This record gives sequence, structure tokens and C-alpha cells, in this order.
Amino acid sequence: MESRNLIWLIAPPVLGFVAIYLLLPQARRLTPIWGGALAALALVLGAALLVRTATVFVESLLFYAFAGITMAAGVMMIAQKNPVHAALSFALVVLSTCGLFLLQAAPFLMAATIIVYAGAIVVTFLFVIMLAQQEGASSADERSREPFLASLAGCILLASLVCILHQAFDTRHLDDIARELTQITEAKDDVEIKRLSCLGDPTKTDISKLTRPLVEKLKEHYPEGTRGRAEADQLQIQWVRMEVEPLKKTAQSLLQAIQSTGSLALYDVPGKAKTPGHREPGKLPAGNVAALGKTLFTDYLIAVELAATLLLVATIGAIVIAGRRSEVLR
Amino acid sequence: MSPATLESYLLVGAVLFTLGMVGFLTRRNLILMFLSAEMMLQGVAINLVAFAKFRGDLGGQVFVLFILTVVACEAAIALAMILMLYKRKKSLDVSLWQELREPDQEPILDEDVMPPGDKPAEFEHLTPAGAEPPPSKEAEEVSHV
Repeated sequence: MESRNLIWLIAPPVLGFVAIYLLLPQARRLTPIWGGALAALALVLGAALLVRTATVFVESLLFYAFAGITMAAGVMMIAQKNPVHAALSFALVVLSTCGLFLLQAAPFLMAATIIVYAGAIVVTFLFVIMLAQQEGASSADERSREPFLASLAGCILLASLVCILHQAFDTRHLDDIARELTQITEAKDDVEIKRLSCLGDPTKTDISKLTRPLVEKLKEHYPEGTRGRAEADQLQIQWVRMEVEPLKKTAQSLLQAIQSTGSLALYDVPGKAKTPGHREPGKLPAGNVAALGKTLFTDYLIAVELAATLLLVATIGAIVIAGRRSEVLR
Repeated sequence: MSPATLESYLLVGAVLFTLGMVGFLTRRNLILMFLSAEMMLQGVAINLVAFAKFRGDLGGQVFVLFILTVVACEAAIALAMILMLYKRKKSLDVSLWQELREPDQEPILDEDVMPPGDKPAEFEHLTPAGAEPPPSKEAEEVSHV
């Protein structure tokens, strides 16, 4: 990775955690305006440099809105002095996370998360805060433990996560492949396809001897034995033989895989067993609740039973721990 | 192209996880520490749902359901324990429990003095019931009889 590239990757996390260091409750604190402005700058910079969305306007807008609210409310939660306000900020984090769930075709999880988190946990936490601190905020809420070291640790963790995610999941290099595949699918006749296969060197006319960079790139991304590799081979053969219609069909199929998953690496994994919940990449079954129930009670049946047992044990444990009368009350 | 790539969802998850970690390390209120831990779990849940979407495999969503179960259990136990700790020390400050530290560790003391005049904020209360109404004449007569 180029060092200049690396600097741009690391800049948003570093800025963000300088902002958080300024925002954390401390005995001597600047006005929160500076920290807030720095945090906003880091968010905008991160959105501009790291996040990549494309043409579908409404979904991109919703993604930016929910992701921005999630992160801003998360910063507010750890920076608030008043624990009640912090708990309410956490409720905001949960609600906007549920928006992200909805964008990712998980409506049941959205409902379940709202019910469990916002409906039960946050309300119970607020109840306990109000029960326990009736005399007002304690000075412990106005201080932080080791704010500098903790921000530094967070900065290092986030920067390394960003770098690794960028290396593993960056899809920028797929744009060329997608563009060339689109050119093939939109070609009118075989003359145009011949011209396409001579990209970069129009003097060469013997297409069967050309190495096609597109096919090479595709083969680089699909390991041996996957369906993607098979389709890439098919594409090459059809291209050499100039079978126009099958060629277009194969290119269309590959293009769809790239567009729906955003990544070739996820297209097909060798040796992956098909489970009832498993569909084509980027395509979840239409009935979310029904399919989720089916997966839950076929593949994960034992885990469901164990989860039920865990809930029972936790209930008994909570009653035993909280129900014990202390000596003072007796 | 797809509206938002897998990478962007994973980035949101990573940011939430890191924020939760920083909150857990810095805040001294027991309840806020637990809320921070649950924010970390939210980051993980975003990751799992994103993988479920982009791989077309519902297993990720099922994992998030199990995370929800564990979170509910954790919250129940944590609240019970927080109540017990509060009964002992009459405070939610986690630094009051630092006698549990390792024998060779230095105790953490607050060195900076809080700026004066910065009074801690009042919390929301339930409004107390109104003043007792004065007894009416009829009621007095009845009680005399």
C-alpha cells in the first residue's frame, strides 16, 4: 500500500479520537465546541475518503443518514456527563442501527432489536439510574479514567481495522471489470466486440492470439473450481469463437454477481455447503421471518435450545442475586 | 452498483465497536460501562447482518438473534449485580471498588480538583405527591361523632 494512501486512510480515525479525547468528561475541559467540530470533520472526512456508495440515490442517502446518526450518538453517549442523557443517546444508537438493519434486508431483526434494546434494556437502565442516584450526579461522572491512553488505544484499533478492511474489501478495482463487462453486454454486433477485444491496440486484428486483460483479471479473482472461474473460462471460449449472444449472456451473469455483492471474492466459495437459508450472493429470501424461522429451527436447533436454557438460568441468577435482602434491611 | 458496499457497513461496525471500547475504558459509572459494552455488541451485529446480506446467507441474521438473547441475559444479571454493588457503597462509581485490584498495583486517586461552582446536574425525579388536603368540616364532624 502506498504511504500517501495510508495517510489518508489513517487521518479520519486519528482526528476522531483527538476529538473524543477533547470531548471526554475531565476536570479541566475545553468547551465541547472544538471537540464537536473536530468529530464532525472526522465524520465528513471518513465519509468522503472511505465510504463508497454509488448511483442509487435514496439508499445512499439513507445509509449516510443512519450511519452518521449512529456514530454521532455513539460519541455523545461516551462524552455525556449526565448518565440519563447517555442512556438516551444509547437508545438513539440502537434506533439508527435498526435503520441500518432495515437497509440490509433484516426487518425481523430490526423489530426484535427495538423491542429488546430500546423497549427493555434502556428503560430498565434508566429506572436503575433514577433509583440509584436520587441525590444528583456524582463527581465520578465528571471524570474519566485515563482518557488519553484510552483514546490512543481506540485510535490504534480503529486505524488498523480500517487498513485491513480497505485491503480486504475495497472494490474500487472492480470498476474496470464492471465497465468492460458492461461494454460487452451493450455491444451491438460482433464488429464492436472485435474492437473491444483489441482495446489498447487497434492494429492487432487476430483476436484469438490476444490475451484479454478482462479474462485475466477475472481469473485472478476467482480461485480454481468456483463457479466464477467456470464462467470466466466460458467467457474466454465464447470470446475466441465470437459467439455473440452466449458471450453477452455470460458477461451479464458475471456483471450481476459483481453488482449485487459489490465484491467478486464473495461470489462463490469452493466447498461451501448449501444450507436452507443460503441463496445466491446478494439475494436473501423474500419472506424474511419465514426463512429466518426455517433456518433457526433446522440448522440451529440445538443452539436455540441452549439459548432457551441460558435465558432460564439468567432469570434464576438475577432473582437470586437481586432478591437477597442485605443485613441492613432486615 | 449496489447502494453501499460491504466495506462501508463493516466500517460503521468497526467505529461503533471502537467507541464502545473507549467508553468502557474511560467511563467510571457502572451502568455506562455496561451500555458501552452493549454498543460494542451493536457493532458486531452490524457486521454480521452485513455479511448475511452480501453473502445471501441467513446464518448471519440468526447469529444476531443469539446475540440479542445473550444481551438480554447479560442485562438482567448486570442490573442485579449493579443493584447489589450500589447497596454496599451507595454509589455507582467503579473506582470505589478498587480494593479488588492486584496487590502490587497503585491505587488510582483523583488528582485534578473539580472547578468550583460547577455544581453537578440534578436528575429527573418523579414529582412528589401534593400537600395533604385540609380536612373538610363534614369529615371533622363525622369523626367527632
